[in-house]
Amino acid sequence: MPSIVDIAVQTEGFSTLVAAVQAAGLVEVLATGGPFTVFAPTDDAFAKLPPGTVQTLVDNPPQLARILKFHVVAGCWKKDDLMTQHELNSLESSPIPIRVSPIFEVKNATVLAADIEADNGIIHVIDNVILMG
Amino acid sequence: MITTADKQATTSLPPSNHEFAEVVHRLEAGGSMLPDNPENLKQIIGIYKAYAVPMDFYWRDLLYIAEHVFLNPLPAFKYFISEKYLNRPNAYAGDNADLRIWRGEADAHPELREFMAQGERKRKLPRLFHHLWHDRVNMEFAEACMLAMFWHEDINPTFNAYLETDEYRANSDRAIRAYFKGNPVMLGLYKLFPDMFLEQVRRLSYYANLGLFWEVMAPVFFEMSDLYDEGKMTTVPEAMDFLVNGIFAVAGRPIYHHVYIDGECYEIIPKSQGFTWLYEAALPYVEAVFYRTAPFRGTKSYNAQAGQVPADQKDFHYGILYADVFPVGSAGIPPTLLMQDMLHFLPDYLIELYQQHGRGEDDMLVQLGITFQRSMYNVTSAVIQALRTALLYPLDDSNLDHLRANRAFFEQQMDRFKRPEARLRDIQSQNYR
Repeated sequence: MPSIVDIAVQTEGFSTLVAAVQAAGLVEVLATGGPFTVFAPTDDAFAKLPPGTVQTLVDNPPQLARILKFHVVAGCWKKDDLMTQHELNSLESSPIPIRVSPIFEVKNATVLAADIEADNGIIHVIDNVILMG
Repeated sequence: MITTADKQATTSLPPSNHEFAEVVHRLEAGGSMLPDNPENLKQIIGIYKAYAVPMDFYWRDLLYIAEHVFLNPLPAFKYFISEKYLNRPNAYAGDNADLRIWRGEADAHPELREFMAQGERKRKLPRLFHHLWHDRVNMEFAEACMLAMFWHEDINPTFNAYLETDEYRANSDRAIRAYFKGNPVMLGLYKLFPDMFLEQVRRLSYYANLGLFWEVMAPVFFEMSDLYDEGKMTTVPEAMDFLVNGIFAVAGRPIYHHVYIDGECYEIIPKSQGFTWLYEAALPYVEAVFYRTAPFRGTKSYNAQAGQVPADQKDFHYGILYADVFPVGSAGIPPTLLMQDMLHFLPDYLIELYQQHGRGEDDMLVQLGITFQRSMYNVTSAVIQALRTALLYPLDDSNLDHLRANRAFFEQQMDRFKRPEARLRDIQSQNYR
């Protein structure tokens, strides 16, 4: 089964996320570590951010890594596992609020595709870049 | 690009019942807490420009102190910024900017250099004379802001947690030993009172923090002033949106503390810690300086036993958003120091405005203080809209639950201005001058 990184690379619409993961130096950990649950923002999600936001982060890998780690949780959390879970602790250490019903939402992002299985975890595709706070 | 003014909610909620319902509805329509009219725009842009010039000194000198003056036990010359720091390229201006926000040059602003050379007295004298006459930029204001951030330690938990780590202690120890190399007296004192030295380094880390924060804000304000002069910034929401976009664009800027001793760089807080401009500098700054600060000594006697000072630091409300500008206008206290600094760099159109109102030039410090208050309500509006963008939902979201969440957020923010000292009510009228 492909890894989280393999799926992101092979799927259309995640080129910004893949570039960000590479710039932040997180490829190896997301390819071989885990298991993780990744909330993966689409290219459209990154494009919603005001001009300069992504570039400043890409220019500063530790800061970019921190934002990306907010999108990753330790363990495999499928949608059904989250029915009774109101929040998860991200690898960044800040909590991520979760709502499954009536629609599957992660903080202020909506899940566009849930439960994509990878060798080392689960991917949920989201329509916004989520931020701590 | 965020242009909140263009967005109107397509699905509407019932009217808010909040005391500041009108302001809540304005925020929901993409506006600012400050009403949109040409005079408010003129006031806030004029004061942003007058603020940006001394701020160009503040950020440079804060970094000079954090990186070079460091633990000098007799820092009598800490405000005598070096030429190197006056020439230090601002990372957000000039041809080689990381991200060019201001189209101007990256070194110290020409009006600042002129003021430093001639002072208020318009006489070219050695810097020491200007300093002793107090004919200079009031750097004490910047230090007061830094102390407010340092003291309200609950608002910056991640940054402050690092200041308590063994890693920070080890980094500081290396720098302290290098700085006092060959000075047995200071090294002996360090051995006796290590925590005292460490606490001074922590304070210096906040000098760096605030310096890096203001390095961004000075070019933002200069660019807004230029856009207004060119007729390209025409409404208060446009001014707010420019700030919102600026906040996002530099949100990921690293916040760090480097010290230079004998040409060698000591990384007290390395960039690799991942601290960011938005989370570890901008948001704590707004909370500490705009909302909280502390009562200014010498302006009023507070009886803490009678509950005149809040028991919890989080309830402090002595920032510019709550300030009664007139009695606060006493010599020597931080807000007046800033007003005096801004007085030197007012654009002509603001001077003309002040001459038409109040006591003309006699109460200009009060008038410009109230203008500054208006302008900071607009900056706070930008922060509120930026947080709403980052953490909540678009203003034109079609999901009613999302609009309710936005409404609850805006009302919660407005709750902070219900207390009688808040000036949100006052700034709704042009008669407040």
